Amino acid sequence: MSDSSTTTSPPPPVPDDGAGRATDADTARIRLTALLVGVTAALVLAIGAVAVLAGGDDDVAADPNDGWHGTLQGPTPRPEFTLTDTDGQPYDFAAETEGQLTLLFFGYTHCPDVCPGHLSILTGALEMPGVPQPKVVFVTTDPARDTPERLREWLGNFDDDYVGLTGTVEEVAAAEQAAFVAGSVRLDEDGNAVASEPVAGAASAQDYEVGHAAVILAYTPDDQSHLVYPFGVRRQDWAADLPRMLEEFPAGSGGAASGGSDDGAGS
Amino acid sequence: MTWWCAASTDPWSWTPRAYPGIWLFMGLLLAGYLLAWRLAPAPDSEDRRKRWAFLSGWALLWLSTDWPLGTLGAGYLATAHMTQYVLYTTAAAPLLVLGLPEWMLRRALSRLRAYRLVSLLARPLVAGLVFNAVLVVTHAPITVDNLRTNQFGSFGLDLAWLVSGLLLWLPVCGPLDELKPSLPVRGVYLFLAAGLVPMIPGGFLTFSETPLYAIYELAPRVSGFDALDDQQAAGAIMKIGNLPLLWPVLAGLFIRWANQERSTPPKVAAPSA
Repeated sequence: MSDSSTTTSPPPPVPDDGAGRATDADTARIRLTALLVGVTAALVLAIGAVAVLAGGDDDVAADPNDGWHGTLQGPTPRPEFTLTDTDGQPYDFAAETEGQLTLLFFGYTHCPDVCPGHLSILTGALEMPGVPQPKVVFVTTDPARDTPERLREWLGNFDDDYVGLTGTVEEVAAAEQAAFVAGSVRLDEDGNAVASEPVAGAASAQDYEVGHAAVILAYTPDDQSHLVYPFGVRRQDWAADLPRMLEEFPAGSGGAASGGSDDGAGS
Repeated sequence: MTWWCAASTDPWSWTPRAYPGIWLFMGLLLAGYLLAWRLAPAPDSEDRRKRWAFLSGWALLWLSTDWPLGTLGAGYLATAHMTQYVLYTTAAAPLLVLGLPEWMLRRALSRLRAYRLVSLLARPLVAGLVFNAVLVVTHAPITVDNLRTNQFGSFGLDLAWLVSGLLLWLPVCGPLDELKPSLPVRGVYLFLAAGLVPMIPGGFLTFSETPLYAIYELAPRVSGFDALDDQQAAGAIMKIGNLPLLWPVLAGLFIRWANQERSTPPKVAAPSA
């Protein structure tokens, strides 16, 4: 490689080598100003474009969910099922939560992403000032590994007041059916559904994933579910929606049952 | 395989991930620098020191960009994102600038016909504004959430950090003397541009009651680190993370200024007639 710029090439008409030999300073200033304005304009345009592209979510008028951050659905009644809580006692979901703002989630403690993520975000939202405190009920879809002790310990990472429920595979499946969510299935390494019961004693019995409905069902004081929350809902979304649920779906506003606490919020 | 770090929905693991684009970029940067030395006009006693400075900056840049820090910063932890930023702008960038010999930078700017542009952008006021504009824009939630989710956007953010860092340091320790203001002005400039202004966006991150970045809030958790705690720690890093690097430089500038003043003979007033 040769140093052509200093030894063989003739100097350019307007050298730009830092030697301060500009022959037409005014022209150079104009060019520089134009360049600076252009760069600034491009930056502003780029930011504006990003803002416009990302700002589409705020168009409530065209929002099929009417400003809710969950998915609005035809109301479904509070499901009736009885499972076992982490103290080993029977837990009648409909009776225990009747008339209360309740969030129901089917998941499992070995879940690598959605379950801890969903619960972590929800817990963060419930710690925000002024946010109503719903009753949170977590039903394991992996009763083989989620013993009551493990379920209690795992939920304690989020909030000791969260209710953990377990049962046999059949009982959990019946609860899912009652809540109108897709039934959970054990998955192999390729994500294909396999037998729901792990093979006892096998090395791989502790190393599998479970496909399950990745939504949190919200039951309002009117004992109906009007909204489901898929993964992706943020703290600020919960903080906006939970008070609104109490306002728009109070006890006796069309549900099959009414009653419970005065404001509908659980403990 | 992805070519540049970008946000991912996969749970975090310590299994290394390969990013060929990062390797290519770092390889080209180093090869370009080493090849340029073949054009060196004459050996200089400073050559060795400059090469080591550049190599250190290059290594820090790679460390900040590649797995694991780059991967964590792109899609898992705001603290990793902010650590990357601090390393880019207050560690790698000044070392890269220190590693540039004057003849190399002049030659490069001449070939690119970019001397006037760089001399304009490297004026303290302009460089400070550009540096902080890049800081604010590239840390705005709307930018991070939209650009970190794809490789090209993520590459653009990293490049913007690097360029703004180089611009920040050119008037302080660059090889072109005509771009450097006096020592006290350099100190004040660095304090304002890199020390004071970042505290404002850092404060927003620290004192916000909700996570501002969707990608870090929705990312699979790393070791159970809560998203809001993560963001507050990131804000603290933005506010004070650069101080251990910045204050020694500021102290050095003012000590040099004091020595300079001491060695200058005092002006003696002419005796009146």
